[in-house]
Amino acid sequence: MSGGAGTPVSEQAGLPREGEHGALSAGKAVSFSPKALARFEKLLTRYPTKQAALLPTLWIAQEELGWISREAVDYVASLLGLSPAFVWGVTTFYTMYNRAPVGKHLIQFCTSISCHLAGAEEVFAECRKRLGDLKPGETTADGRFTVIEVECLAQCDKAPAVMVNDDDCAIITKENLEQFLGGLK
Amino acid sequence: MSAMWPAGYEPVLLARVSRPDSRSIDGYLADGGYASWKKVLAGIATGEWTPAKVTEMVKASALRGRGGAGFPCGLKWTFVPPKEKRGNKPVYLLCNADESEPGTFKDRVFIEKDPHQILEGMMLASFALGVKHAYLYIRGEMVHGAEILNAAVDEAYQKGLLGKNVLGSGIDLDITIHRGAGAYIGGEEPALTESLEEKRGHPRVKPPFPAVSGVWAAPTIVNNVETLCCVKHIVDRGADWFKGYGRNEKNTGPKLFCISGHVERPGVYEAPMGIPFMELLALAGGVKGGRKLKAVIPGGSSAPMLTAAEVANMPLDFDGVAAAKSMLGSAAIIVMDETADIPKAVTNISKFYAHESCGQCTPCREGTPWLNKMLKRLVNGQGKRQDIDLLLQISGQMGNGMTICVFADAAIAPVISGITKFRAEFEAYLAKAASPDFALSAPSDVTKKVAERMAEGIHC
Amino acid sequence: MVKVTVDGTAVEVPDNANALEACRAAGVDVPHFCYHPRFSIVGQCRMCMVEIDGAPKVQASCTVPVRGGMVIRASSEKALAARNATMEFLLINHPLDCPICDQAGECQLQDNAVAGGLPVSRTSEPRRQFPGYDRTDIGPHVIADMTRCIQCTRCIRFCNEIAGTGELTFIERGGHTMVWTHEGHQLDNEWSACAADVCPVGALTTKEFRFRKRVWWLKKTASVCPGCEIGCNISIEHREQVVHRFLPRVNLGVNDFWMCDHGRFLAESLNGRDFLKPVVPDDFLKASEPDGRGRRETNWGEALGLVHEKLTAAKPAAVLAIGSANLSTEENWLLAELFGKTVGTPNVEFDADQGPLRRIRNPKAIGADGGFLKGTVAAPNARGAEAAGVRKASGESALGRLLTGSLVPDVLYVADAAFSARTADPAFVAKLRKAKFLVVHARTRSALTDVADVVLPVSGLTGKDGSFLNVQGRVQRFDVAFVPPPIVKTDLEVLLHLGQRFGVFETRWTTADVFGKLAATVPAYGGLAWDAPAVVGLPPSVSPAASYDVLRPPRTSVDDTDKLPAAAGKA
Repeated sequence: MSGGAGTPVSEQAGLPREGEHGALSAGKAVSFSPKALARFEKLLTRYPTKQAALLPTLWIAQEELGWISREAVDYVASLLGLSPAFVWGVTTFYTMYNRAPVGKHLIQFCTSISCHLAGAEEVFAECRKRLGDLKPGETTADGRFTVIEVECLAQCDKAPAVMVNDDDCAIITKENLEQFLGGLK
Repeated sequence: MSAMWPAGYEPVLLARVSRPDSRSIDGYLADGGYASWKKVLAGIATGEWTPAKVTEMVKASALRGRGGAGFPCGLKWTFVPPKEKRGNKPVYLLCNADESEPGTFKDRVFIEKDPHQILEGMMLASFALGVKHAYLYIRGEMVHGAEILNAAVDEAYQKGLLGKNVLGSGIDLDITIHRGAGAYIGGEEPALTESLEEKRGHPRVKPPFPAVSGVWAAPTIVNNVETLCCVKHIVDRGADWFKGYGRNEKNTGPKLFCISGHVERPGVYEAPMGIPFMELLALAGGVKGGRKLKAVIPGGSSAPMLTAAEVANMPLDFDGVAAAKSMLGSAAIIVMDETADIPKAVTNISKFYAHESCGQCTPCREGTPWLNKMLKRLVNGQGKRQDIDLLLQISGQMGNGMTICVFADAAIAPVISGITKFRAEFEAYLAKAASPDFALSAPSDVTKKVAERMAEGIHC
Repeated sequence: MVKVTVDGTAVEVPDNANALEACRAAGVDVPHFCYHPRFSIVGQCRMCMVEIDGAPKVQASCTVPVRGGMVIRASSEKALAARNATMEFLLINHPLDCPICDQAGECQLQDNAVAGGLPVSRTSEPRRQFPGYDRTDIGPHVIADMTRCIQCTRCIRFCNEIAGTGELTFIERGGHTMVWTHEGHQLDNEWSACAADVCPVGALTTKEFRFRKRVWWLKKTASVCPGCEIGCNISIEHREQVVHRFLPRVNLGVNDFWMCDHGRFLAESLNGRDFLKPVVPDDFLKASEPDGRGRRETNWGEALGLVHEKLTAAKPAAVLAIGSANLSTEENWLLAELFGKTVGTPNVEFDADQGPLRRIRNPKAIGADGGFLKGTVAAPNARGAEAAGVRKASGESALGRLLTGSLVPDVLYVADAAFSARTADPAFVAKLRKAKFLVVHARTRSALTDVADVVLPVSGLTGKDGSFLNVQGRVQRFDVAFVPPPIVKTDLEVLLHLGQRFGVFETRWTTADVFGKLAATVPAYGGLAWDAPAVVGLPPSVSPAASYDVLRPPRTSVDDTDKLPAAAGKA
């Protein structure tokens, strides 16, 4: 079982292509706003090395841009004196850095064990169905919703637990799903 | 937030969480908060308080780490190399609030309802360890938790409880809240230190242990949120008071239990260490709908599953759960009633581990998805006769030193315990399978051997 | 040094060795993938599992520092079971494409599977695929195929710790973990193909060697890189008179385990031959050729006779001999002896190009600067030529005067038609052509051979042996890869035959004989023997992974972190 769906070398232009795991280009250069830069400068005072501020700096980038684009990785790398590859490696290790633009409401369904016991998978499937047969990670055509599956949100007492963007939502069941989605403007 | 305790029990850790202004520093000060911190700082000049004294108190209290491993906290603190050996290197305290073990949600209560309790614990531990800069690593998902903690830290600076020369004591202390970005492995000590640095959260080879060479190659003590809260209360009220809680000398103190799954009132409960499982279950309203209890995961998803019979007389403390061949871990108790489908539950847990494996070590990187693929196939009606034994065999080759950290051991525990204790349920899936007899090789008698070793308390 | 026991054999190893190195020292071959003697220890492939007395669990031997009296059981039942387990995990997703994989035959995974793997596969799950990340260029020389990757991170650590450029990283995690660059960046450091060298499987391969030859057909010849004055030790890998690739040959004092891409991909330039017979002017053809340079092929007797005749007739001061930094010291010495002493001209000179800076990581080598050995002359033997008595050309020297037109030599003898890149420049060649009689040694046709009176066909590097003197002043020998066609001579033979006509050399002299004369007369060669280990270097069969013994950076501990090298991944 060798190979795969990759394009043979002879058909390529030399550079790796954009793929599932490669950083997407936003098509424009990135730089922080003065406010973000001020936050970044303040961050640097909290760590003994500049590089250690990578995770929080990526958070600033995500807050500024909504997601981590190829250019954002290059920019953050240059800010911190790290290689772009290193920054990209860190970005992909952690699940919360968005590697593509997401909808206005990023709905994160926990399906870990406690939520599983409360039927989270069915609610997740039902939610995707109602939003037009979305696949996990897809965004609705109107750009309002992105639905993803995540691991334990540390809200096992409110299973099935859901996070919408930064907010915790408790006990989302098939019964109150309609009301829940309706509440997301 | 449901936060409760047994009738007649005076809560310690959760005492403040239901107060209306539990988050603010004014509320905390009004309740006598930071008294220990001020007391200790004031006692430096008189020689009444020394770092060694605090460490001794924690050692005497027999406080065991609340994060999962249950390692004696005071003993861990003594692993920091003395000044002569470490030279000019600073010591770091890293408070582990990367609560991500499925079933665990106790630290969230402290973070969201009583952040100053954590900070005071960190301050006292920093004093004991000679730390000048302490970090709190909070889960990326707890966005609001991080905001609350940051606000609390700002308040503490404003009141002069942090910063340079705190309250004129000559002690300098900074606290920084560091937010993760979504990785369970980050809870593993060395991986957490990597993640606090700029790196991918890969566990690293030990030795050196973090206490000798952790973040930025400096000695680093990693303590769980609840552990540090306990430190605060130990300094408040003394080691003897702390030891008054618990069944024996080795399992002491008040303890938080997270109970979830098929119970009437899931939530965080505070009780003395060693409370019998059945008592706690009753406190949580019993099994949902009055149904029969089938299985319990007593310490987060990586603890081996126990049957109803095994938990019937089990006290909930480190040694009590260990005696039942499982572990108290983070005291995240997941209850499964008679309607629970064990193979599906095990499949779900194996998905978690396949998703969270960092990918460094071969057995874990390759083994966790393999287990998950096989289990998924089994519960989807595509099982093969040899699968069940193969699952045990593969699990047997993943743990027990085969990997750098214990993640693989955590990943195989639910598989091994689920199959050995509920094998009939797995075989029932085989009976429904499309073509179970298409086998590449004959099944072996490994199950028996695995069961024997489990009985000895060894993961294969 | 500490004493340890491996499978019952007592062995003494350096204090900073690990258990894996101790096993190797005891002659016990413990398979491994992520360990490399020059990289930091990560202990993540879990292949080198052994039992150590006193430790309850099996241990990855590379992660265990040795202690005096340590007892290592590398072949116990438990150790072998652990290694088999890792092998099984590595193979469940690895493609079974050895027949079309370039690494086959020199693949550590293949070797270890054959040596100790399970005879059957127990998996029936579909194998992992990386669509879009297989058979893809990740740089000018390297092709990556992530389906074959075993995530050992050697390539990542090479880029971080040896190259210091950090182009590669792990991306994703768990079973999806793979090695890649950041989108829009390439693996394009000066030594990028070394990342493919250290890859234990066929995940990284070089574009230039891809699908050229099954490696078991290749013959290996110890040689020295012709790319610059560093003189990296190389193995010329060839088959049926065709060079297919260069690989670095371990030399702890020079190139360590590495070589640069520039040198490595000179391999192809050794192939090809345009001259099989000497060429001399022909009076009859001259009359019919418009440029008046009619020539014909002839035998060596006539060609060398003609050269001898012209040299004897010329005024000594009007003879100019040009040696070369590409020729061995032996050849340059013969040239200097013949022309300087016998013909009697003061004009024996060489000229070498200043090239781009070439660097090789070797912090411990004598003459290394900032962790790198550096070379600026784009030829391997400028120091040797000078040591042999061939003077470096300058503006005032004979070659300089020829170029300005103030000297018109009776005879210009060019012992290497490619002594400088400028020989491809028609204007430069036109100036050399001002000489009344032009003789060149050549393997391939060039602007210079096109205008020469006499072309003497020579073998090139693959057909001869000799020695170079590198930038550190180290004498390094290269061997004959394959014997050239019978009528082609080596440069050394040509000079010996010519010298015999003057009655000063004997044609039966071998390169070793000439080396002996050098050792007696040239200070840089003083006291050296042709067969001395320091001159010969390690045989090409010594695989880079086999040199375990020394120089691995010490493990980090609380005491030595101040001395740590630059942290991994920093640009």
